[in-house]
Amino acid sequence: MIWKRQIPILIVTIVGWTTLLGWFIDQPDIQEFVNDDATQWFDILASFAIILGALNLIKLQVQKILYQKPGWIYSVVAVMGFLFAITAGFFVKGVDDSVAQWGAHVTTDGTLFKWMFDYMFSPMSATMFSLLAFFVASASYRAFRIRNFEATLLLVSGIIIMVGRVPIGSVISSWFVMYLIVLSAGIYINVWKKDMNTTFVFVAVGISIVTIAGFMYGWPIDKPGIFYLPAIQEWIYYYPNVAGARSIMIGIGLGIFATSIRYILGIERSYIGE
Amino acid sequence: MEFSTILGAWVAVFLTFGIFSYLYKDNPFYKFAEHLFVGVSAGYWTAIFFWTQIQPNLFGRLFPAKVYGPDSGTPFIYNLLSFISNSVFPEGGIDKGHDQHFIYLIPLALGMMMLLSLIPSINWFARWGIAYTVGMAAGLRAYGYLNSNVIGQVKGTAVNIFNSSLPFFSLSEPSIFNNMIIIVGTICGLLYFYFSKEHTGILGKASKVGIYFLMISFGASFGFAVMGRISLLIGRFNDLIKFSSTEYHHATFWVLTAVIAILGYASYQEKENKSQIADTGQDSVQEEE
Amino acid sequence: MSKIQDTFLKIGSIDRRWIFLIIAAVVIVPLIFPVGLPIRPTDTTKNVYDSIEKLPAGSNVLLSVEYSPSTRPENHPMTISILRHLFKNNHKVFITCLWPDGQFMAQDAINQVAKQEFNKTYGVDYVFLGFRPGNEAVVKGIVSNLRKLYTVDVYQKKIDEIPLMNGINNFKDFDFLFSSSAGFPGTIEWVQYASDPTGIPMASGVTSIQVNEVMPYVQAGQMVGVLAGMPGAAEYEALIDQKGSATSGMDAQSVAHLVIVLFIILGNVSFFIERNRSKKY
Repeated sequence: MIWKRQIPILIVTIVGWTTLLGWFIDQPDIQEFVNDDATQWFDILASFAIILGALNLIKLQVQKILYQKPGWIYSVVAVMGFLFAITAGFFVKGVDDSVAQWGAHVTTDGTLFKWMFDYMFSPMSATMFSLLAFFVASASYRAFRIRNFEATLLLVSGIIIMVGRVPIGSVISSWFVMYLIVLSAGIYINVWKKDMNTTFVFVAVGISIVTIAGFMYGWPIDKPGIFYLPAIQEWIYYYPNVAGARSIMIGIGLGIFATSIRYILGIERSYIGE
Repeated sequence: MEFSTILGAWVAVFLTFGIFSYLYKDNPFYKFAEHLFVGVSAGYWTAIFFWTQIQPNLFGRLFPAKVYGPDSGTPFIYNLLSFISNSVFPEGGIDKGHDQHFIYLIPLALGMMMLLSLIPSINWFARWGIAYTVGMAAGLRAYGYLNSNVIGQVKGTAVNIFNSSLPFFSLSEPSIFNNMIIIVGTICGLLYFYFSKEHTGILGKASKVGIYFLMISFGASFGFAVMGRISLLIGRFNDLIKFSSTEYHHATFWVLTAVIAILGYASYQEKENKSQIADTGQDSVQEEE
Repeated sequence: MSKIQDTFLKIGSIDRRWIFLIIAAVVIVPLIFPVGLPIRPTDTTKNVYDSIEKLPAGSNVLLSVEYSPSTRPENHPMTISILRHLFKNNHKVFITCLWPDGQFMAQDAINQVAKQEFNKTYGVDYVFLGFRPGNEAVVKGIVSNLRKLYTVDVYQKKIDEIPLMNGINNFKDFDFLFSSSAGFPGTIEWVQYASDPTGIPMASGVTSIQVNEVMPYVQAGQMVGVLAGMPGAAEYEALIDQKGSATSGMDAQSVAHLVIVLFIILGNVSFFIERNRSKKY
């Protein structure tokens, strides 16, 4: 029991305290251990953890094949893929020692490992992520609804960023945006007052004012700046957006600090399954 | 162009369309590509982490070439390992510029324990290695997040709203109004996450303002998320356009045609089978009647 | 009027596969037939450019590459542009990677810019240190003792034998840091463990998804600026006056965004029509 529970908790506590105090104590031996060897051990164990994860994944696939669970044929493909990658990584370089030594072969052009990276791993990895573009478009269309004021704020802010941030935003004139605002306000007034005359007068006056102002100033594309999408986008991005993102960041920062202290004090033991 | 490059292009296009075929529906092309990705990724990560860390920095510190010479030779254990794998343990020791440090037997032992945890009866072996990484990560993050994400951000929020040299409002430059937005937005956003008191009265109003700032931030995140995803799609399509050229024997067109033809035919067969089953079902109901 | 409303309702409930097809079409067409919309650099991008311009010639710049092929369309043009800018101004470039895939991305960028375009000499003008696993521990290692972490470069050559590594022992020996990052570990770790504690200025190029996470650092002055996604990369290409893949993708990006905004508006119109009808009945 002591091997499975107490010793891991002791390791976390000792290593955690040493690392944390290493930020504040200037003693050379502690500094050397924390900054050099402890870091190297962490890197080495992180590598073993990744390799463990990869081997565990393949173990699950092999079990699926052995017990002939549904879809086991595809698990054969997974295991074949793994064996191919291991062959390319450890057994077949594909080039002479003069071109690339073992170790450098993982990045050198012309090796079987690089070929696998360029034409198998890379395209599959990129395509998996790019699938999300379709789903985000579909989700926006089917689920993004203005049900209340907060949702409207979210939508308007999102649309301004999406359009203002790309080149097409800079060719949309601020006068076009003003006309859109007048028309949107007209729709709102129609819903509120339910009176066609009021709506018509409001929209007519609004459009007239914008048109007269446009003729007076010569229709500059980026003036007035407050209606120019890239300028509004930049303001939203740098001020109210940062305020919201910062409050989330401070909250998360305090949470991570508290959780880290809990791990170091041995209160949090999720890493041993408790 | 080399045959391996052309072959690689066809393989890449086939795997790309295999994954894109999921947009139509789940199908064997997608399952094949997905499982291949799982297997190749596992092997890729294993090889990369081994050759960039374990071989040079662990084995390189246990069997450094610096301590072995033509007269002293290498120890028996190293010769045995070298016999098993000459690529990992080359003759004369591992030459990565390290000195010998037997203390690195500790991470080696912890690492081997982690790998042995694959055996179900001793799966607790991994706990010691994981405990080390957890402890160190906790020690690093406690300082890092407190310093940069809390104290640094509070400092950044403490902007001057009484600076008379600033204009009241500016779209792009610092201004009194913009500084007030930063302070009010950050404080109200933080107050929204304060759940120890009910959100009523002044706290309720402040947290309402906070939620508005958070919604603006989420909207911006949504806009950026859409931007990011479309950018990734552009990257894939650029590659597919490149591989449609004569140099690659129009790989994109041929593979796309083949995938559409096979999926279309399979879909048609499925529809036929379904309508046959439906007809058989109707016939048997009519017979019973 | 009710016929128009019925049409909107029908549009509001079409099979999502038609949406996928429309998105594919609006992205592919501008890539094949580009329009060439003008690109307007934003302040955060200009700050990055100005910071690198202001560096004295021959400055030691650490370029950290942490992205994978999945975010290559966003990050790679940034890395290429930054490398071009650094070599144009004759700075000394040291390249590390916190992601294993970053090694491949960095090698591609080096092949294109350092070798083919600028004909720079390895070991004199630039060094490729490579990837080390360990996430934030690697950053900490670079800050405290780089030579213990990197005894050999990515080509397995001992760094003691590389002339450019003379006098480079830890992070404080660099004059500037640029991180081209797609997630963890990346920009945030560089801010927390390297730039903020030591005061060495840094900038970053991040994916669009990450922008909101790092903007508070920019506003607080912990970073000088940020290149935000593919648009940020295109803006930087415009600033260094060398167009690349980011610029060519901006037309498709613009059209796709407009179409998605149109989808959102159509979806909401059909939502309001449905809501009004259900209120009536």
